[in-house]
Amino acid sequence: MRCVLDIINFIFWLLAVPFCIGMIPASFIPPAKRSPGFLLLAGYFGMWALFEVAAVPAVLWVKYDNFKAASAAFTVLSLLAAAAGLCLLYRHHRAGGPGLVCRERFWEKLSPVEWVEWILFFALLGFQLYKAAAYASFDGDDAYYVVESLIAQESDVMYRILPYTGRPTDLDVRHALAVFPMWAAFVSVRAGVHATIVSHVVMPLVMIPLTYLLYFEIGRLLFGGLAQKEGDCDGAVGIWGRAGRESGSVFHRENLPIFMIIMAMFQIFGNVSIYTNETFFLTRTWQGKAVAGSLVIPALLWVFLLLCGEENEKNDDGVIKKRTAGGIWMLFVFVHMTAGVCSSIAVFLTCILTALTAFFLAVVKRDVKIILKMGAACVPSVIYMGIYVVVAYSYLLK
Amino acid sequence: MWGIFLESVVIFKNYMGFHEKHFLAAIYLLVLLYLWFAEKDKCRRTVFVYAPTLLLLLFFCPLFRKVFVRVLEDSETYYRLLWLLQMSLVSAYGLLKLMGRHRRIGLAAVCLMIAVCGDYVYDSEHISRAENAYHLPQEAVDIVDLIEPEKGRVTVLVPADLVYYVRQYSTDIELPYGREMLIARWDYHNALYEAMEEAEVIDTPSFVELTRNGSFPCTYVVLKESREVSEPLTDYGFSIYGQVGEFVVYRDTTL
Repeated sequence: MRCVLDIINFIFWLLAVPFCIGMIPASFIPPAKRSPGFLLLAGYFGMWALFEVAAVPAVLWVKYDNFKAASAAFTVLSLLAAAAGLCLLYRHHRAGGPGLVCRERFWEKLSPVEWVEWILFFALLGFQLYKAAAYASFDGDDAYYVVESLIAQESDVMYRILPYTGRPTDLDVRHALAVFPMWAAFVSVRAGVHATIVSHVVMPLVMIPLTYLLYFEIGRLLFGGLAQKEGDCDGAVGIWGRAGRESGSVFHRENLPIFMIIMAMFQIFGNVSIYTNETFFLTRTWQGKAVAGSLVIPALLWVFLLLCGEENEKNDDGVIKKRTAGGIWMLFVFVHMTAGVCSSIAVFLTCILTALTAFFLAVVKRDVKIILKMGAACVPSVIYMGIYVVVAYSYLLK
Repeated sequence: MWGIFLESVVIFKNYMGFHEKHFLAAIYLLVLLYLWFAEKDKCRRTVFVYAPTLLLLLFFCPLFRKVFVRVLEDSETYYRLLWLLQMSLVSAYGLLKLMGRHRRIGLAAVCLMIAVCGDYVYDSEHISRAENAYHLPQEAVDIVDLIEPEKGRVTVLVPADLVYYVRQYSTDIELPYGREMLIARWDYHNALYEAMEEAEVIDTPSFVELTRNGSFPCTYVVLKESREVSEPLTDYGFSIYGQVGEFVVYRDTTL
């Protein structure tokens, strides 16, 4: 009975809540771009952004039981956001709109070869999940991150106890602002499962499929023919159009399973050194920096590609409704905020990548506004860096 | 500046695993070169060609490295700038573009190339079959189960092999020193650590003085059965509390 309750709690906090939160950005993008994958990914990034809003002030300004305060704030915020997502879904339904979760006729049209390729990919994915669950991967940093999660779960304290020894300590701003271990602790508390089990077993079983879902969404944009048009959900079928194959282009959906297989192979054989993001992905999946390297940074590329799609639409069809891009910009902000949840350095990295990409996009599109828009989306990261600098150097003011 | 540049080259080589004959980076660089000529879509050129190329140039730029290290006050994490290249994503995209219509033979060739040029992650010496749901050594779990108090916390001195693990199982166990002592380059010093780990034979009188009257008196001391001591701990007010595998658990009866 206890086990069933644990599973229900995990499904609620790791699937239902992010899925509902994802409906908020999904309601502000063109129907053809909506998909269950978009919803879940956008929901996760939205949820982590909310966690940052709830946890960072508690870390900085609440001294006792700060984890309890952060958990309460995050519970309220995330449930409100999930309810807002459901309200938007209901509103779309009542207005006769296409809905926020578009059904895609994907599996119905697979050729036998594609079936074999997809089965091969899922075998590789299953192999990685099996290894993650049945094998232990030693990493010295766990003595910090995993113990921080466990301290939060057992003592309701965030970053005020030195994990290595258990003694009281001052705030270490470099780690304290990256609250990913606290999110793992939150999930542990809600599910009533030991934080070390959640970190070492549950997190990989969630983060590995989630990362491949992101690669799938990126592949969908790269090899789907980019036939994204305004319209109802049936327009989504266009994403899977076979026009590319007929015209001899490589951009057709049959390349998607191949893309996924190659991505899986790169992860499995990417251990060329202990430093690569592929190594981090499969050997320390539960740590914020691994999530930053394998999920957040690729998500930024995904958002760039989505924004490029928007621009393409604008060029082809003339004026498009401004709100259709709103959801993607919302996602952009969420991804930047998630970088801060994962690692302080990731904030700097994502800002560097955004600045470079914005500069080149502005040049190739001859539109300076892109720099301003992307700069505005980085405001939460700038605030984060400001807090980092102020807290890190506050001793100079004393 | 030249020295900083050379340091960046070393970081790059270590990251890419050239010294261990791994060449996934060569695939990436060739794909990047191919995309410079083959990719016509402006947006994709920006994301997959221009930005990574400039990032690579920035990585080797001494001035950029100086600013990066100064801002973050950390030179050890400079390699993470290379995460922005997203080598696998760019390589997979470019390789698929290169394959064209030859999908099946292309897939087989690419998979073979990745396996040959890369390194199988599950071969790592740090990965082993999990002994329990915590993914911790069972001995660490059993020792903590043996000594964990019903209420409050207890300070325990454990060998370096267990330092990483005991607090991942229970934070009711406190340690007189932790992982910080095991990383040589962090350059911490602790008299108890030196007495416990660095002495060839533990000098029992001074060791007991440190465990009993040091900053954090240790109620329990865990030693490997094979660890040499000048005199038995039991002669100095310790009793054998239990044994887990090769580890003997002593309790300080004076505390």
